[in-house]
Amino acid sequence: MVVGLSAATLQGAPVVTQDVDLWFEDLGELSISRALQEVGAAYVPPSNLNPPMLAGAGAELFDVVLRMDGLGTFAAELKNCVDIPLGRHHLKVLSLERILASKIAANRAKDRLTIPVLRDALAATQSVKRRSKRQ
Amino acid sequence: MKERAHSANPAQAKRWARRLTLRVKEVLAAHPHADPDNVRHTLILLEQPPLERLQRSLIRGRAAAIFKK
Repeated sequence: MVVGLSAATLQGAPVVTQDVDLWFEDLGELSISRALQEVGAAYVPPSNLNPPMLAGAGAELFDVVLRMDGLGTFAAELKNCVDIPLGRHHLKVLSLERILASKIAANRAKDRLTIPVLRDALAATQSVKRRSKRQ
Repeated sequence: MKERAHSANPAQAKRWARRLTLRVKEVLAAHPHADPDNVRHTLILLEQPPLERLQRSLIRGRAAAIFKK
């Protein structure tokens, strides 16, 4: 599932981000290591000094997220995802409402900067959805 | 809003801008505390494909990080 500001930007929020945060239900899943192998990358488990990460040129844009502040379990939040088409695939992307909830719960300095922008983006996207339903 | 901001036709561009202003006003009427710039930028981004939105965000985010170093 794509989470964080990259998920927000996929849904139209005018925010910038340095990487794409990915939240996995089970990092031990074989399909993950196969996909990483295909792009010459590997999963590096967390250690004392480093958070869990994806290493290798094909994975440099991506970060691994193990838990999300203020949110439910992966399975519960999967219900709050939007499907975004990407070529032959559909990306599971955490909804703007839930991204906002996680930023409010995390409440770090950098989160506090994005909260008003996410709130306004949510208002704008909801208005667009309402308008397209009426038409 | 089918006519984009970067339309080659000035008349189309003006129509697009007028419609955008109306949409921003509509959102602000329902959410008076929202920032008009945030609303306007969101409405413009919603006209772009999702992957392009992400690409733009990453390019800007990464460039900003490089300048910080």
